Amino acid sequence: MVAVKKTKKTHESINNRLALVMKSGKYTLGYKTVLRTLRSSKAKLIIISNNCPPLRKSEIEYYAMLAKVGVHHFNGNNVDLGTACGKYYRVSCLSIIDPGDSDIIKTLPGEQ
Amino acid sequence: MVKFLKPNKAVIVLQGRYAGRKAVIIRSFDEGTRDRPYGHCLVAGIAKYPKKVIRKDSAKKTAKKSRVKAFVKLVNYTHIMPTRYTLDVDLKDVVNLEALQSRDKKVTAAKEVKARLEERFKTGKNRWFFTKLRF
Repeated sequence: MVAVKKTKKTHESINNRLALVMKSGKYTLGYKTVLRTLRSSKAKLIIISNNCPPLRKSEIEYYAMLAKVGVHHFNGNNVDLGTACGKYYRVSCLSIIDPGDSDIIKTLPGEQ
Repeated sequence: MVKFLKPNKAVIVLQGRYAGRKAVIIRSFDEGTRDRPYGHCLVAGIAKYPKKVIRKDSAKKTAKKSRVKAFVKLVNYTHIMPTRYTLDVDLKDVVNLEALQSRDKKVTAAKEVKARLEERFKTGKNRWFFTKLRF
């Protein structure tokens, strides 16, 4: 089944929510720290870019399945995800530890 | 948000001499210790898997093929891959930190683990754990 066509509006809202998390919450960027937060059960949501290598993507999804944490496949590559985080570098996967003021945890995993 | 690196979890060792071998977590140290300031766990695993037993094997051959060589090790969390499987054998009393202090204590601990794993293999349960991971 083809994934639900992400309309422009929901994509922008994800970006907005991510920006709010960057400003007010706790997060960590990068594969190594994502696994670390999953192991220590600190992660609340994982976001993976669409050009993440499939083996790495499966590994993160498996860890998240064990930890019962939602995974969101970002509609964009690592360049876009880095930009969405407000960074000037590429981000392939990130982990949200504390969403702060954002409601990204409540809205996203149900949508999947 | 659920801790999964708990005792009795089956894991696969990824690095070192035992890379690719299946093991079971006996005790986990999430915060680390003074000597190992990182998350690690004490695992007991299979160094040599039991061979495939077929119906026409004699009793002597079955006994020889069902042997297991075990190991006991402290591994970093980053060097193991957790799985969804668990293996509940009671190894807490025989595998503990002081068993790793000297070579002969480690050997006796491994022998005890070998005995317990062999009897578990002979009952036919946890078949996944005793099959070699092909890669």
